[in-house]
Amino acid sequence: MNPLVVDRVHKQYGEKKAVNGISFEVEEGEIYGLLGANGAGKTTTMRMVLGLIYPDEGKILYNGKPYTEEQLSMLGYLPEERGLYPRVKISEQLVYLAQLRGMSKHDADANLKQWLERFEVPEYYNKKLEELSKGNQQKIQFIASVIHKPRIVILDEAFSGLDPVNVELLKSTVKELRNAGTSMLFSTHRMEHVEELCRNITILHRSNPVLQGNVREIKKRFPREKVVLNTDNEVSGLDAIAGVTGVQRHESGYVIGITDESAAAAILHQAMSQTTIQKFEIMEPTLNEIFIKAVGGDLHE
Amino acid sequence: MNKFWTVAGFTMKNKMKGKSFLITTLIFVLVLSLGSNLPYIISLFDKDNGKATNVGYAIDARTVEGTKIAEQLRATYAGLEKPAIKMVEFPDAGSTEANEKELKKAIAEKKIKGYLLFGPADATGMPSIAYKSEKLNDHNTTQSLQQTIQIVKTDMILKDSGLTAEQRTMLVTPVTLDVMQIAATDGAGGVGNGKTEDQRGVDMGFVTFLLLLLFFGIMVSGQMIASEITAEKSSRVMEIIITSVSPLTQMFGKIFGIFVVSLTQMVAYVVVVFINISLPHNDSAFQQYNIDLTKVDPLLLVYGLLFYVMGFLLYASLFAAVGSIVSRTEDLGQAVMPITLLSLAGFYITTFSISAPDTMLVKVTSFIPFFSPFVMLLRVGLANPPFWQVIVSFGILLVSIYAAGWLSAKIYRTGVLLYGKRPSWKELRKAMKAYKI
Repeated sequence: MNPLVVDRVHKQYGEKKAVNGISFEVEEGEIYGLLGANGAGKTTTMRMVLGLIYPDEGKILYNGKPYTEEQLSMLGYLPEERGLYPRVKISEQLVYLAQLRGMSKHDADANLKQWLERFEVPEYYNKKLEELSKGNQQKIQFIASVIHKPRIVILDEAFSGLDPVNVELLKSTVKELRNAGTSMLFSTHRMEHVEELCRNITILHRSNPVLQGNVREIKKRFPREKVVLNTDNEVSGLDAIAGVTGVQRHESGYVIGITDESAAAAILHQAMSQTTIQKFEIMEPTLNEIFIKAVGGDLHE
Repeated sequence: MNKFWTVAGFTMKNKMKGKSFLITTLIFVLVLSLGSNLPYIISLFDKDNGKATNVGYAIDARTVEGTKIAEQLRATYAGLEKPAIKMVEFPDAGSTEANEKELKKAIAEKKIKGYLLFGPADATGMPSIAYKSEKLNDHNTTQSLQQTIQIVKTDMILKDSGLTAEQRTMLVTPVTLDVMQIAATDGAGGVGNGKTEDQRGVDMGFVTFLLLLLFFGIMVSGQMIASEITAEKSSRVMEIIITSVSPLTQMFGKIFGIFVVSLTQMVAYVVVVFINISLPHNDSAFQQYNIDLTKVDPLLLVYGLLFYVMGFLLYASLFAAVGSIVSRTEDLGQAVMPITLLSLAGFYITTFSISAPDTMLVKVTSFIPFFSPFVMLLRVGLANPPFWQVIVSFGILLVSIYAAGWLSAKIYRTGVLLYGKRPSWKELRKAMKAYKI
């Protein structure tokens, strides 16, 4: 039995359908991506998983059991809108939050110290939150969501507002947690993070799950429609080749749109006959492109 | 239950450590210390009041009776051990107008505070008497003058009546009427075997003190609860908290935490006042005003505490509900206005009724939940309500605490999830339905 099972869950807010029949399962040690434009129903789905609001239909199971208050202690939550007590010492508030999740004071304190060491900021233990920079506040926020060793962690926009160094730090931490068997539900707008971290994803569009499954398989389902070509000199006549939909010239070469892979060979021939090729690649569609295709380009509704 | 104590403990610890809390408590302690030493401080300034006030009069050939009375007055005052007034004689300047001019000059020169002016005698042989002074309501002086003139007049009339001096003294001694408040039936008030007027005064003061404490205790702590919750919401830490602990546990934990803080504060205030009052130098100062604090009924403190607890719970749950629907601290003041007005109304009913604590208004409002903590305390303290009425009032209060707690819990569960502009009742109801709360 998977730690988290969401089974045909519906949620209606008055006239508006917020979530329309979403189903997915998160395995142990898996990061599951929940993608969608703003207002697509991600937060509502997460709130239902957290037990804040109840689904109208369908069910959510935690290790095979329905929601009870006891489940709260095995859930961790990093909300999209970050926030802790600005004027309370880090040690006090994190131990408090861990205690609320059912951890003993002593364990919480020990865990906090470990985490601060892990992030190389042990001196923050006695500081107030408002004294820290925004990036460091984010680290503390992250610790707050995992300090009580939850089995299921919900990360809403986990890496937003962080500099690249800290993104890497948090990413490696998330991977460590995953390898330790924690199941994670992960939402983000940054597709490269999804490609790196998630095995399975669901793309939500206007409350409906439009695309679901293994990232690699989803990618295979979409035709390869792009060729990257880097050459020493210019290549002419590329747009005359049958099956080429467009040619874009870049600094080091070309990005060529094609209708199907058979056109690629013709492009390669054409280029070889004119100059030396440095790079030739038939590109897989990026998740970004798949996402935009899936939601029809209207990201901001 | 464990989490309830965690929330309560965290709330208490943070509140008590807060600078603003310490400062307000300290200010209140100072004000209360000053207040309880006030009688003593006033008595320090009042020392020169023991000195007699100088009142002038002029010998006036045009009103012989007047001059006679004035001279008698002077003699009477001079014969007293600690006279409140010293009569100062001025020579006849020739006419009444000239005399008055002289006397006015004496006032300007601060030789006298005021002067007596006599008119022609009427049929009974008494001249009309006027006391003129720059101060209109120098109550002590005019009262003393009136009494003494009465004595002088009686003396003059009885002089030839053949009564002995003793009889005359007996005649002029004023009648004293001891006013006692008693209870004909057994009631909740501590009236018992009767209260003298002095005691009533002490009771009034004590009840006023308790009511003030009650009102401020409830208001301040209620505001604290609302602003704590709004602060948690606006800093978004609420999102984490409500996913860790049930909103109900959190709300009641918070209310309880603040309750302990507020109660500690109140107890500290009472103790400060008590210590100040029992300082030795205050003893005589209080006695001077006939304030005997040992006459205060300790039962009243118990009632005060009970009403405080219940009033607190009732108002606190409402404050919590309001705090939960407001997203920004700036909007909080406006949002809590209705509750503030409600408690203000209850408090003002008591201040207006303190000298008449048995009007219909008081009786009726002592059963209305939001007013009853204040008004019933007033009745118990100053009137003598039947015991069953107090029980009924308590009962109604308990039921409304339960109802308010239930409603607030519902609002709270919904409110903490709603961000943005303050929702209207309709939106709130819709959200409750949507969240299935």
